[in-house]
Amino acid sequence: MTKFYHDDPAWADIEPIPQDDTGHPLVAIAYTAEYSEAMGYLRAVMARNEHSERVLALTEHVIGINPAHYTVWLYRARTLEHLSIPPSDELRWLNPIALSHLKNYQIWNHRQAIVDRRDSCEGEADFIAQMLDQDAKNYHVWSYRQWMVERFGLWRDVGEVAFAEEMIGRDVRNNSAWNHRFFVLFGGRKKGQAGEGEEEGKEEEEKEKEKELVQREIEYAKQAIRQAPQSQSAWDYLRAVLRHAHLPISTIAGFANEYNDVSPPRSLHALEAQLEIYAEQNKVDEARSTLEALAEFDPVRKPYWTYRQKELVVA
Amino acid sequence: MAAKSDDEVARTRLEELRLDSNRIQELSDEELYTSDSNADYEDLGPAIPSEADNIVYVNRMMPIFDDLQTETSRAQQQTLDKILPYLEGNPSNFPLNSFGIPKLQREKHVKFLIQGLGDKPAAYTTLDAARPWQVYWCLAGLTVLGHDISDYQQKIIDTLTDVQHPEGGYGGGFGHLPHLAPTYAAILSLAMAGSSAAYESINRRTLWHYLGRMKQADGGFTMAVGGEEDIRGAFCVLVALSLLNLPLDLPPDAPARAQGMTTFLDKLDEWISRCQTYEGGISASPGCEAHGAYTFCGLGCLAIMGPPRETMNKYLDMPALIRWLSYRQGAPEGGYAGRTNKLVDGCYSHWIGGCWPLVEAAVDKNLWNRSALGRYILSAAQDEKGGLRDKPGMRPDAYHTCYNLAGLSAAQHNYKFDEKMTGDVGKGSFGAPFHWKGDGLFEGDKVWDEEDVVEEVHPVFVIPFEAAMACREYFEAKDGF
Repeated sequence: MTKFYHDDPAWADIEPIPQDDTGHPLVAIAYTAEYSEAMGYLRAVMARNEHSERVLALTEHVIGINPAHYTVWLYRARTLEHLSIPPSDELRWLNPIALSHLKNYQIWNHRQAIVDRRDSCEGEADFIAQMLDQDAKNYHVWSYRQWMVERFGLWRDVGEVAFAEEMIGRDVRNNSAWNHRFFVLFGGRKKGQAGEGEEEGKEEEEKEKEKELVQREIEYAKQAIRQAPQSQSAWDYLRAVLRHAHLPISTIAGFANEYNDVSPPRSLHALEAQLEIYAEQNKVDEARSTLEALAEFDPVRKPYWTYRQKELVVA
Repeated sequence: MAAKSDDEVARTRLEELRLDSNRIQELSDEELYTSDSNADYEDLGPAIPSEADNIVYVNRMMPIFDDLQTETSRAQQQTLDKILPYLEGNPSNFPLNSFGIPKLQREKHVKFLIQGLGDKPAAYTTLDAARPWQVYWCLAGLTVLGHDISDYQQKIIDTLTDVQHPEGGYGGGFGHLPHLAPTYAAILSLAMAGSSAAYESINRRTLWHYLGRMKQADGGFTMAVGGEEDIRGAFCVLVALSLLNLPLDLPPDAPARAQGMTTFLDKLDEWISRCQTYEGGISASPGCEAHGAYTFCGLGCLAIMGPPRETMNKYLDMPALIRWLSYRQGAPEGGYAGRTNKLVDGCYSHWIGGCWPLVEAAVDKNLWNRSALGRYILSAAQDEKGGLRDKPGMRPDAYHTCYNLAGLSAAQHNYKFDEKMTGDVGKGSFGAPFHWKGDGLFEGDKVWDEEDVVEEVHPVFVIPFEAAMACREYFEAKDGF
């Protein structure tokens, strides 16, 4: 498995550039001879700006030893472009590497560049799902999926919503999945996007559809809260949908109360919603005693609940 | 022996995990545990009085649980099982302070960080692209502990000069391409080294050109040419511009000029606003999930762009942000998690804990539970052999040591922002960070004695105050590059 270049005739024309440290540096790593030599050849080809098939093989070699080496990934990306390697070939090479290095940063930026060049996201959703099967909250993978939604205009796409739903179904506390759902449904609409030049009727129709969607999402969040009333993800989603639709927090007064009718409450988040309902209705005394209850049942956040008293005085 | 080889497999896996600098950059919590000596706290004996107090405390802090079991709740339960013995008792047998909490193991941590700067075996090759990071974490950690680092001055200069790129900026190692993460770590390290030789080793002219190449048409910055665009990019660029007193204008060769941009700040405020999510925290880039480390980067940007009270209130929904930050504090753990429904991790002692001084300067004081965080750091994050960690059962590393200590500092000290921006240093662009002052020790509810108190840390740069001031002052006095 070990690969050297000094005795490889295909590399005879290259004079490697060894690591040239001044004195004895901090955090000096005792590299293996193999890595040291491969890096020496990489520095040499970078210095002559060579982009060739053998460079591609060299980058693969170094990535195999140190996948966190951003320089090699960036140089590989440039080489692929120079050689006009079909994006699908590179993706085929990349997939197993991604699956065995779940926490790697570089792979996702690399993938993004390739898929962007390919100008198609075919197969990407499936691959992402495979990654998330192993690591359901992986930040890079979700971020990549959000990039895909934006790049390929998958706003309110049925498949994307269904995917978020499936992930939430598996673990109702998966906040990354809730974030994705919000992004897909409400992240893409910019003001005036749908409107211009369209007839009155169509605008009305749009408004009606929007109302239905908001209603559906409120119900969706509520049924998730019923499963795990103490999980913040669905509560925050619910609050965000209300805010998006300019609906007051009292819209969910009855629902919140379902979780507050005992002491301690079944959900702190319901109690917080209750606080805000009181504040909205200017019931300062009730709000104040709710804050006291919050500080009692959530003592780690006592300074925070105390701070929120000030908000009441101002209101 | 089969048992031994299993143990070795686990060790190797952990080693890979620990050494993978992606993990370091990823800043995430990790659910992998392995058998190591810390987990062997079998016979704790009868509870001593302080232990009884701790148990009462922990029970009082217990949150409301719901019944549904999912992957998240199982991981949370496992984590709690690992942490609780450390909050209630003293499995590491540390000497206790007057609050019945383990004392800060200063000498052990100093030794750990000094070793962190030393020679590494080949297994550390995955750290090869992040050596300036390792230098920064160790030096920053040492200065928080009050350890004098002046002996390292020449070595810092030599090590980082070797990784400075001829076209500007710093790479992870010799001959690596420049990248904003090592650039950030290198500049802060050189500021800590603090001498004209260290300052002059930075090629500010090529650096300014390099930073200009990172500017994007939407207002944000990429981490490298062809690299990812996220809020770390913006923060790293602004830190460099501010500390080194570089011009506000984009260099003439910046590609973003073709899109009509003229300064580093064009559309950045708006871009940062777009990173605040519906949850209230800040994400890597618009649309992603709110995350502790990116939130610190976002607030850091705003604190460089002007007085926090102005910039933060203008570009962020502060009540939503404060609410989100508050909810990241785990109960009964007291430490912070980086995202909603994720696990507590010692590195967020800084990424979230360090947000509070910035937020308090913009809004109001006394927003957070400092003593609960101090408890997590001193009781659960200190490794018995030195160094601090993500959580019990994980090995310590320089990254977690640095950011646990920075978080401890945030909990122990008060800071003040001089709204009038008076003083000799910090005139001109990106001058706001030079108007902070230490404002004495936090004297409220606390769990540390005087000997557990670490040094003040500059809330934006996360290096000593004097280091940041002296660096800026040097370059303000200098004409041109």
